[in-house]
Amino acid sequence: MSPAEKRSPLFHQLVVYLLFLILLLPLLGTLVYSLSTSWSATILPSGFTFKWYVALWSDARFLAAFGRSLLVCIAALALALLLILPLLFVVNYHFPKLDGVMNVLILLPFAIPPVVSSVGLMQLFASGPLPILGTPWILIGCYFTIALPFMYRAITNNLQAINLRDLMDAAHLLGASTWRAAFMVVLPNLRKGLMVSVFLSFSFLFGEFVFANLLVGSRYETLQVYLYNMRNDSGHFTSALVISYFLFVLLMTWAANRLNKDKS
Amino acid sequence: MSYLNIRGLHKSYGATPIFTDINIEIAQGQFITLLGPSGCGKSTLLRCIAGLTAVDGGQILLGGEDLVPVAPQKRDIGMVFQSYALFPNMTVQQNVAFGLRMQKVPAAEASKRVAEVLELVELSDYADRYPQQLSGGQCQRVALARSLVTRPRLLLLDEPLSALDARIRKHLREQIRAIQRELGLTTIFVTHDQEEALVLSDRIVLMNGGQIVQSGDAETLYTAPADAFAAGFIGNYNLLDAEAASRLLGQQIGSRVAIRPEAIHFADGGIEAQIRSHSLLGNVIRYRVEARGVELLVDVLNRSAADLHHDGQSVSLAIGADAIREVA
Repeated sequence: MSPAEKRSPLFHQLVVYLLFLILLLPLLGTLVYSLSTSWSATILPSGFTFKWYVALWSDARFLAAFGRSLLVCIAALALALLLILPLLFVVNYHFPKLDGVMNVLILLPFAIPPVVSSVGLMQLFASGPLPILGTPWILIGCYFTIALPFMYRAITNNLQAINLRDLMDAAHLLGASTWRAAFMVVLPNLRKGLMVSVFLSFSFLFGEFVFANLLVGSRYETLQVYLYNMRNDSGHFTSALVISYFLFVLLMTWAANRLNKDKS
Repeated sequence: MSYLNIRGLHKSYGATPIFTDINIEIAQGQFITLLGPSGCGKSTLLRCIAGLTAVDGGQILLGGEDLVPVAPQKRDIGMVFQSYALFPNMTVQQNVAFGLRMQKVPAAEASKRVAEVLELVELSDYADRYPQQLSGGQCQRVALARSLVTRPRLLLLDEPLSALDARIRKHLREQIRAIQRELGLTTIFVTHDQEEALVLSDRIVLMNGGQIVQSGDAETLYTAPADAFAAGFIGNYNLLDAEAASRLLGQQIGSRVAIRPEAIHFADGGIEAQIRSHSLLGNVIRYRVEARGVELLVDVLNRSAADLHHDGQSVSLAIGADAIREVA
């Protein structure tokens, strides 16, 4: 073996670890800052404390914002699931030709930058038959459109991996109605795509700021808007908030992975 | 009185006819093969019998009852698919038990019947496995067990062997036939493989372009093809037009002629010919020869290496008069 080949694994590992370090450094800094009593003129913090976390998690305003974020995300995802599952089933089972049209439709939310579309949404829903600007309803509807592409793609891939038509035909011939076949045969096989897309969308929506701030803002304060409004507060306090948010998303991701693995 | 009686069945997608005026009669316990090239309508016909595809007109009488208005769930027909169509989220046991669950068969009886049918397909040890842990051949046996457990009135097999490799295919087709005989189950088998059709069937229905070309037992289809298509599809017939046939045989012939390659012999004093090339098919040597400007295939039993004729060698051919079949 040549010396270059011998050295390369170490070199590659070094690159990977360095990259990880660079990515983690801001997070580590935030973590340490959120745990320190004060850290301004010294190299190391003067002392460690949990008081910022205690203050954060006993702040009624924070808990309310957390709850609102959770509610809006879950409602948007539930709406998305409720609409996408039957839609996907119909497209794939009855009208496979529509798949091309759906793919274009589903990518539309990506084509418009959030700032542009939120201005449009503000004009559209400020008055008229549906004046829901400033209410959580507009946020739920808006988040639904953001989650749509993620969920549609993930579940479509999943559907194409199973042979939907033959499975449905087999179930029908064995005496199952279309509903029973869908629930007993198709749905359990979509679990993986469902899980992945739901958790992915959730993590993304939970931290969404542009729409939340422009469409609703402080009238229905979500987590990100709360963080933004707290920007003039103690940095230790907002750091504790960022770390809490990050840990929550991490927990969700870990749970998603766990739920996915246990089947095999 | 036939058990399954298909009368004047037709189906088209828009302006494209898939099959037209199909009439088939099948006796109880028979094993029928629908044979034909891809796109001939055989699979669609099978799906229509199952009720998975609606027909445009005609009748499908099973034991006297017309199935056309009956939903597929109520037809009491078992079907095996080329893709196996096993439910990936269920074990072998759950897959096989699915039909019984739908029929609300009591659990104790269901598990007894599942065990019996798994025994029949020799998969008793695999009851707790998931489909993705099985080989293709095992999957197809599970699919077969799943369609048998509900004791259907009719078993439909849609190219069940096409996705399997050659050795497993041969073994499984014999197993399917043995089980079918044991249960006396009326079966319709769809394939594009003429060898499978010849080996398995009580009767073969040869289809082309949405119509039945010929129907009969393997012997009849092989030795007496109804037309040029049948001759070309079954066996490796030498198909000669009238002019070439007249030249080769030295007599006036008015129509196309089909000659089976194994009906031509090397014998002295016959038609002068030259070997162009040869290939060894195992027990048979297939020669490509040229005689009087006509190219022919000649199959000879591979008895010993000494008998082998070399490329370029001159030979003499004898063609029995009864082997020359005029086809439309």
